[in-house]
Amino acid sequence: MAKSIDTGTMISETFQRKVIEPSTPSAYSDSCHVGPDALLGIKRQQTNPTRWNGQSWQEFAAALRDHDIELRENIAARGTFATDAGGTAYGLPHGVVIARSAAQVSALLKAAQQFRVPVTVRGGGLTTEGESVAFGGVLLDMTGMSQVLHVDTDALTVRTEGGIFWHSLAEELRRHGMDYLSAPLNLTSSVGGTLGVGGIDVNSPRLGCSADQALSVQVVTPRGNIVECSDTQNAELFQRVILGYGQFGVITEATLKIRRYTPLRMHYFYYDSLRIAVEDMQLLNRNDASDYSGILTIMDCAVNLLVAFDSDEREAAFRANWQSHLRGHGEPGFALCMLRRYVLRPWKLPEAWFLFQRKRELFPEFRRSEYMRDGLMHDRTVVFSRAVWKFWGSKQMVIPDLATSAEKFVEAVERGNAVCRKYFPHYTLYCVGIKLRPEHKAHYEMSCIPPDAEGWAYGCEFEPMIGGQVYSRDYFQSFKNAIYDIGVDLGGSYYRFGGMMKGYIRRVFGDEVVDRHLAMKREADPAMILNRDVIF
Amino acid sequence: MRTVDVIIVGAGLSAAAAAKRLVDAGLETIVLERQKLPRHKICSGILSPRGHRFLLENFGPLPREVLHDPVSCRGVTFHFPSMVSMPMDFFGGTTPHLHRKEADYWAVKSSGAEIHDQTSFVGLQDNGDHVIVKARRMGEPVEYRARQVIGADGPSSQVIRAIYPDYPQSIPWFFVGQKFHEIIECPLDEQYFHFWFHPGLGHYTWSHARDGRQIVGVGFKSGDNFAKKHANVVNYLSDKHGVRLGEPLDDEGCAENFGPSLINRYVFGKGNVLITGQASGFLNMIGEGMSCALHSGAICGEAVVEARLRNRPMQEMYRRMIASEVRRTTDQWNPLKIAFDRPHEADFPAALMAMGWRDRAKVLRDLWSFIVLYKEFKWGRQIFRAAMQRPLIGGYSMKRWL
Repeated sequence: MAKSIDTGTMISETFQRKVIEPSTPSAYSDSCHVGPDALLGIKRQQTNPTRWNGQSWQEFAAALRDHDIELRENIAARGTFATDAGGTAYGLPHGVVIARSAAQVSALLKAAQQFRVPVTVRGGGLTTEGESVAFGGVLLDMTGMSQVLHVDTDALTVRTEGGIFWHSLAEELRRHGMDYLSAPLNLTSSVGGTLGVGGIDVNSPRLGCSADQALSVQVVTPRGNIVECSDTQNAELFQRVILGYGQFGVITEATLKIRRYTPLRMHYFYYDSLRIAVEDMQLLNRNDASDYSGILTIMDCAVNLLVAFDSDEREAAFRANWQSHLRGHGEPGFALCMLRRYVLRPWKLPEAWFLFQRKRELFPEFRRSEYMRDGLMHDRTVVFSRAVWKFWGSKQMVIPDLATSAEKFVEAVERGNAVCRKYFPHYTLYCVGIKLRPEHKAHYEMSCIPPDAEGWAYGCEFEPMIGGQVYSRDYFQSFKNAIYDIGVDLGGSYYRFGGMMKGYIRRVFGDEVVDRHLAMKREADPAMILNRDVIF
Repeated sequence: MRTVDVIIVGAGLSAAAAAKRLVDAGLETIVLERQKLPRHKICSGILSPRGHRFLLENFGPLPREVLHDPVSCRGVTFHFPSMVSMPMDFFGGTTPHLHRKEADYWAVKSSGAEIHDQTSFVGLQDNGDHVIVKARRMGEPVEYRARQVIGADGPSSQVIRAIYPDYPQSIPWFFVGQKFHEIIECPLDEQYFHFWFHPGLGHYTWSHARDGRQIVGVGFKSGDNFAKKHANVVNYLSDKHGVRLGEPLDDEGCAENFGPSLINRYVFGKGNVLITGQASGFLNMIGEGMSCALHSGAICGEAVVEARLRNRPMQEMYRRMIASEVRRTTDQWNPLKIAFDRPHEADFPAALMAMGWRDRAKVLRDLWSFIVLYKEFKWGRQIFRAAMQRPLIGGYSMKRWL
């Protein structure tokens, strides 16, 4: 049975504080008793796409040359794109085209449609399941289109090309004293790619996912038509393209909402229970008590709730009304808490040592003098993005995730945490809320936004710290599957369900929704050439 | 001389899996097979659920012609000399009963690699940056030049012989043979794979139904007489289980390198030559090697791709990546894991606990007397050492691999 989106109900938020329930020890660690490598049953369904056979490639290449489109076929150019940030899928395109203009992309897609040559579109290549890896065919590198076209400081909008990285956009906006609303913490993702899949930031609980800041986009459809679309103009295409995983067109330009730049007033609270930290974060979100909030764990018993503000007034209001409700500790209080914990459990001292080391390495990184002035954090995205790559990123980004409604979130996090513990010695959870736009329900269908979420959706990324270890793809995939199975079980969604994980799409969204989207895709892309193997 | 990226010797399941990964990554790959494809393969064909999933995920749904009849298997039944029988279902439902001749051909074709059958591997020469492979195609000598060579040619691997000529003498060899009988009367449930823990019958004794016949198989240390061993099992089945079989209509047998996965003595190759699948020693506890072959083959392919892209030493990359498959396979033989974890794909501890005290004691006693059968190989201390290593270093020592 398909889980269709219930459009009838409006958001009903009780702005009351939830009753504090005593946190119960997690029951999940006992229920999944199987050793991590012993995969049970047949449940997992990971797809390893077949390489395209190269039929009529020569004719296609000739057609591109006729249009003066530069096609790079040498091994060095193709090898650059052999894998993505996930590092588990490998594929080699037959040729690479660097995007230069919408007209060029249009000509490329028309030829591809005619000769049935798969086109894989790539921005920053920060996918984890091979969505931006070309298993043969042509790879369209969007980073060639990375100009900011126009900044309007009165209307608070920016028009930019789709292949620009967020950090380049930020740089340009700063010159005008502006900032984007929200961008992924990983700033080398491209604007077009992010609009296609979602994007979360620590201000998403207030400003929504990154894709929701798009006012309008210029799209080249799979048949090669250049179309401008927005909520009012070609709304149906707009609904499909935003959070559409690149199935319905290539985003060549976008108009985004922007805002005035503000530095951040940071607060950190520390918890020894995931559940309480999540509940407190949800409390802040429900009551609009902070401008930024998010959870980053060092270990499951050392959880950091980050709260930040754009203005002194908001910060003062938080201090007066909400700070006392939070059950987290400050740094000294938490140190005492940990001291007590390890005095009582001396056999866990290596864990304490790890925590201490991590604190010593990590904390200064968030307080570097070049970004902190008068106690305010400037360029938060640079600070976070830097730290993410330095301390969490490795050659392979393994970040399965769960997205659920607010009610199911604590359970999802706790179950996912139990899975992480089984597979990896050290890992980080990153949890954040995403404010939903009720008028964008159509955008959210078959996306990372869970169908049953009202008001806010919540996402948690489970990120093992791999360090120098080498694990096989099978090990990573079985870990991801263990996480994703929780999502199926809870009726949630995911941020990274495409590519090799596309086997989950029907399990999560149901046949009715998927078939409807497939019919639309077939209509829009008869030869099924644009971003093959990502969703369908 | 043909120059390609990778030559894979053998066209079985591990070769297909490795070829799939290499071809996906855009590497030009040739698979060499001694016989004409599709070729016969001696195997029970009972795939583990994990292997079934691998096939589905990489090669798509299984066509009917790659399956025997009955098309699937529900689980395994253990039989003990004290006449206790323990049926156990596989986790996650039934698994396919593969017709290896057709299934292997289907998989290797689906991988997209170029296949040269009737081409037997003769030898190789690793020149550091490339390997020259010598082969014979229908009697005519042929040569290939490749960056890497993958030996996926089963237990009596010619590729291993080429790089480690003394290896075959250094491990104990077993012989497994099966005969196909006409069924007169067979009370053994045809939905299960039947296995006997009986020291009097052999080191590895099994029976199951295939295409209207009953297979009776027995494995033993090389040197014993197959006909005698087999007749002994047939008599036992008739006496104790009421299985009445006609004369065998067909028989087959092969040498097996049973043992490396018990004691963590795998062979992974040298330089640009990588060994994978059962050639390297992977075998699950019930003697099922197909799922390990598929997974280790895939890892081998991934390692080649990874090492070439990152410009890392081939062997180091392969060994580090294969460690997870070694852990999973050797865990199946690790007594501590069996007692306290769930390394298998059917729940032996649960089936054991479901029995009465008396039966439980019988089973444990019979198991012990069966294990004693393996005493002569002096594996006890090595198994103990491996079992202790597991919790201490989180895996099995790489130093014991060849």
